[in-house]
Amino acid sequence: EHFLQKLQVCVVNLCLKQTIICSSGTCCQIRMHPIPQPKQVDRWNEKRSMFGVYDNIGILGDFKAHPKDLITAPCWLKGFRGNELQRLSRKKKMVGDRMTTLDKHNLEKRIRFLYRRFNRTGKHR
Amino acid sequence: LFFSPQFASSFSSETALPPNLRLPSNLVDPDRLKRPPPPEDSSLPLIRKCDAALPAHLSPVRTWVDTLESKDSEPLGLTELHPDVFAVTPRLDILHAVETWQRNYKRISHANTKVRSEVRGGGRKPWKQKGSGRARHGSIRSFPPLKLNCGVSHGPRGPNSYYYMLPMKVRVQGLKVALSSKMAQQYLHVVDSLNIPTPDSQYLLELIRNRHWGESVLLVDVSQEFPENILQATANLKTVNLIPAIGLNVHSMLKHEAVILTLDTVRFLEEKLLWHDERYTFLYPFKLPYSDFP
Repeated sequence: EHFLQKLQVCVVNLCLKQTIICSSGTCCQIRMHPIPQPKQVDRWNEKRSMFGVYDNIGILGDFKAHPKDLITAPCWLKGFRGNELQRLSRKKKMVGDRMTTLDKHNLEKRIRFLYRRFNRTGKHR
Repeated sequence: LFFSPQFASSFSSETALPPNLRLPSNLVDPDRLKRPPPPEDSSLPLIRKCDAALPAHLSPVRTWVDTLESKDSEPLGLTELHPDVFAVTPRLDILHAVETWQRNYKRISHANTKVRSEVRGGGRKPWKQKGSGRARHGSIRSFPPLKLNCGVSHGPRGPNSYYYMLPMKVRVQGLKVALSSKMAQQYLHVVDSLNIPTPDSQYLLELIRNRHWGESVLLVDVSQEFPENILQATANLKTVNLIPAIGLNVHSMLKHEAVILTLDTVRFLEEKLLWHDERYTFLYPFKLPYSDFP
């Protein structure tokens, strides 16, 4: 499969030169690319055919589980939606002590910038 | 099904439909519609009656009950289905809302760009403020055309979630609408149980083709344990899928053409979906214990 991908890359870069003979008799070389193949999508693979199963596990399963338990996401985003400041502050609360120093420093800088931007500038503060 | 649009002739009459409203003639497979719904005076026995009390102005929906035991067998009997689950008004807007919810609530986009403060380097002022004749800049990472690897100020930021929940009753109504639409278009079939004589995939495919159920089939059973034969038969098939009743959802019902329910599944679904019509609103989440919870 890797070999086929490399072959396809070679085909894409290969530009064919066609000789076009004009009506007046002069020849000129025109460069043409082949029409790309449409990508083959399997609409019935495992992921696509089983998409959405267990989404109603709460309603149909006695409310023992909630669909938000099904989400695969970083732990600070499971069943949570917010703007950038809310997401970053939640990340700092939940994961902050596990982060690398550079990431934590950037996170704090970004939170400070967004706080000042949202609460001190603009019409809505 | 591949359908070719019919092009308008130049001498079309005034009564001909415009090309965007013309439906192709091979949308519906005529073999599937050959079997009409059971008549009032049918000789087959009524296997199951509705458990819940029906309102006086509604009459139950009757369907055939088939078997998977042999390829060409007659229907075993009739079932009555509750009209408040299987004959609801077809609300396409609720279906659309539930389908988009199913696609988006799990979505986490990991697209991330670095801001000018996060890009490596670029702390020094590249040239002095005044005198060089060039535009004034504070760092090489501020914006192009200074350097190509600059920071993006308003790009996607980090893993972003699109989570939201529709009200519980909307999701329940979406299930009911999907089931009734499948029923109305004769894509819903009831089977007594999912027992097959052989664990052969070809047997299942020929059975589906003989009965004109459609290209893709969703088999739903109540329990999490399925018979060995049907597990092996559906293991290698892509378009025939087996799910427990807890896993039923609108997206799968829309993706698969035919939906096959067992009698136990019908009873389970009616019990779960009808409870929401006459329940009090919750004071605390349902996952915490209630004294009178069914």
